[in-house]
Amino acid sequence: MITQVQVKGLMFDPYNNAYIVILRDDEQSEMLPIWVGKSEASSISLALENVAPPRPMTHDFMKSYLDAFDAKVISVVITDLNENTYFAKIHLTYVDSEYTVDARPSDAIALALRSHAPIFASESVIRKQSSEELDQWLENLKPEDFGKLDS
Amino acid sequence: METRATQETESLIQLTVDRVVEDSNTDTRIIVLVRSDGGTDHFMVWVGSSEGEAIKRALDAAVTPRPMSHDLVKSFGEHLGIKTDRVVLTDVKGSTYYATVFLENKGVARTIDARPSDAIALALRCQAPIYVTQDVWKRRSGQNLDAWLSKLETKEA
Repeated sequence: MITQVQVKGLMFDPYNNAYIVILRDDEQSEMLPIWVGKSEASSISLALENVAPPRPMTHDFMKSYLDAFDAKVISVVITDLNENTYFAKIHLTYVDSEYTVDARPSDAIALALRSHAPIFASESVIRKQSSEELDQWLENLKPEDFGKLDS
Repeated sequence: METRATQETESLIQLTVDRVVEDSNTDTRIIVLVRSDGGTDHFMVWVGSSEGEAIKRALDAAVTPRPMSHDLVKSFGEHLGIKTDRVVLTDVKGSTYYATVFLENKGVARTIDARPSDAIALALRCQAPIYVTQDVWKRRSGQNLDAWLSKLETKEA
């Protein structure tokens, strides 16, 4: 089972000088935080605000690459959470075939926003990280907890 | 096909990425390219730190636990059968360089405009040649920068 989620915003994580992408399901009942680096956050932020940067960013380049051959991003899915690292898959159609490509959630989200493709999260990922746990978790966060989160 | 490709590239100068230098004062990276024919002049391109790191990882053949952005583009190519033919630094305005990536799939050729950092990061991962036009080579900044570059590297070391 997968649930569609929307990108609700970006938060700054001062402990690790990183950013958190907040994903929420349509009923607003579940929240999924995903840690991303600064350049990934800025790329997601530009797409969210619909701002065209003076020069194309890496994810604009990625989209141009796919557009050049009329390959389409159908959807992206946050598929797994393992030791605080999230994994994602990008679903594409090209000519008459479908393809699934492994990606970091940050790349998948940045590309989905530019392609107007829906973002989904698997139930297992959401179950592992329910919003109640998140609040508690954010409160108790220590800087060393961020060490291996680089989404 | 072979002949055409040769003609298209004969007025170009092939470059090899030599190293990535950190400019700690500005949090940027300098991509140092050298002529593949053994010429001694440098060609330098300033890029952001994350772009510079993406190029450095490719130079070092570093393996990351998950695919980074340009690994993902390469992966798209592998899945869809798109080949990165070559990358050409085609223009310079002020100190900003522009690049074109030449792609090919089953005989269909396409080009896309790119920042040099994205073009080079992809080319290195796909073992595609990197070229600069004669015009851009002549207009490159940095002829006087070799001394400055060595100073920067000495300071780091």
